[in-house]
Amino acid sequence: MNWAVVAVVGGTVGLDATSFPQVMISRPFVAATLTGWALGDPASGAMLGALHEVFNLAVLPVGASRYPEAGTAAVAATAGLLAAPVSWATVLVTLAFALGWERIAGATVVGFRRGIEPLLATAAGEPLPTPRLERRHGLAILLDFLRAAAVSTAGAGLATVLVTALASRVALTPTVIGTAIAVAAAAALGGTMRVFGGWTDQRRAFLIGAALACLFLVLR
Amino acid sequence: MTAVSFPARTRAAMLARCFAVQGSFNYRTLIGAGFAFVMLPALRHAFRDRPAELDEAVRRHQEPFNSHPYLVGIAAGAVARLEAEGAPPNVLDRFKGGLRGSLGSLGDALFWAGLRPACMLLALATFALGAPAWAAALAFLLPYNAIHVAARAWGLHLGFRYGAGVASGLRSAPLGRAGLMAARSGAFLLGVLIPLVAAGALSGGVPLLAAPLVLVAAVLGLVVGPVVRGPVTIGLALLLVAGLLVWALS
Repeated sequence: MNWAVVAVVGGTVGLDATSFPQVMISRPFVAATLTGWALGDPASGAMLGALHEVFNLAVLPVGASRYPEAGTAAVAATAGLLAAPVSWATVLVTLAFALGWERIAGATVVGFRRGIEPLLATAAGEPLPTPRLERRHGLAILLDFLRAAAVSTAGAGLATVLVTALASRVALTPTVIGTAIAVAAAAALGGTMRVFGGWTDQRRAFLIGAALACLFLVLR
Repeated sequence: MTAVSFPARTRAAMLARCFAVQGSFNYRTLIGAGFAFVMLPALRHAFRDRPAELDEAVRRHQEPFNSHPYLVGIAAGAVARLEAEGAPPNVLDRFKGGLRGSLGSLGDALFWAGLRPACMLLALATFALGAPAWAAALAFLLPYNAIHVAARAWGLHLGFRYGAGVASGLRSAPLGRAGLMAARSGAFLLGVLIPLVAAGALSGGVPLLAAPLVLVAAVLGLVVGPVVRGPVTIGLALLLVAGLLVWALS
C-alpha cells in the first residue's frame, strides 16, 4: 500500500468535511471511490463506499453537533479492503471497521476543535489582531489536514491488519454475508426517509419512484 | 452605499474566503474567527487609511457566531455593507445575532437534509444501475456543487444588495420551495433505490428469499427512522463475531 497516497487523500477528505472547501468529496461514497482510484481499484472502493454511504445518509451535521467523521473512515476502510483480494468477507470486515472508525475519527474532530481554541485568542484571551487572525486561521486549516491524514493513515494500518487477520477466518458463506449486508443497507436506506419529511409527507414521491424502479426491473 | 461600492476584487476575495469559513471552527467562538476572516477584504476596503478602526472591527467580528457555511455570505455581505455605512457596533451585534439562528436552520434544511442526500441517492441509483464508479461519483458532485457554489455566490450578492434589509430579501427568495423540491426528489430517489438494492442482492448470488427480507428491512427502516442505524450497525458487528466464533469452534 502507498501510505503517502492514503495520507494525502485522507488529509484532503478530512479537510473537506468541515474546514475547506466542503465540496463533499468527504462523503463516504466519493472518498472511497477516490481512494480506490488512487490505489488502483475504484470499483471496489465505490462498492464499499456505497454501502458505507447508506449508513451515513441520515447523519446531519446540524449546528455545532458532534457526529462521526465518515470520510476519513471511508479512506481507511478502502485502503484496508484493497490490501487483500476483495470478497464478501473482506467487505464485511471493512464495513464494520468503517462504522466503528468513523466514531473514533469524529472524536478526534472534537478534540481538535477544543485544541485550537487557545490558538484563536491572544495570551490574555482577547480576539486576535488582523495579521495574526489570518495566519492562525490558515494554521488551523493546516493542522486539520494533518489530523485527518494521521487518522486516515492509522485507520488504514489497523484496517489492513484486521482484514489480513480476520477475513479468511470468517466462517460464513458469501450468501449469508451478502444477504445480511443487503438487509442492513435496506434498513438504513428506509431510515433515511425521515430526513425528507417522513412517510406521511413524502409517500407519494417515494411510491412513484418505487413503482418506476420496479417497472424498469421488469422490463429489463 | 450599495453593492457596487465594493470593488469586484473585494467581493471575489470574500467569496473565495467563504469556502474556508469553518477552517477554525471551535466550541468557544464557533465560526467567529472564520467570519472575521471572510470579512477582512471588505473591512480593509471600508477602513482603508484607518488601521486602528480596522483592527477594532476585526476583533469585534471574532465574537461567537454561527451560520450554515454555504449561507454565511448572506451575513458577510450584509454586515460588510453595514460596516461601510458606519453602523454602530451594538447594531451590528444585534443584526448578527438575529441572522445567526435563521441562516443555520435554513441551510440545514435546504442543504444537509435536502440537496445533499437527494444528490447522493441519485449517485447511488446511478451506481446500482451499473454506471462506472467515476460516473456515479460525478452524478453526485456535479449537480450538488453547481447548486452549492451558486448558492454561496447568490448569498453574498443578496447580503451586499439588501444590507440591513436582508431578511426581506431572504423572504422573497424561493428557498422554502427549493427545500421542498429537494426533499421530494430525495423521497422519489429513495423509492427508486430500494427495489434496485433488492434486485442487486438477487443478481449478486443471494437467494430469492433475500428480496422479501430486504423489502421488510426497508419498511422497518421507514417505520423506525434514522435510529435504525445503531441496531443495524451492531447487527453487522455481531455477524462478524459470529463468523469468527464459528471458525474458532470448527
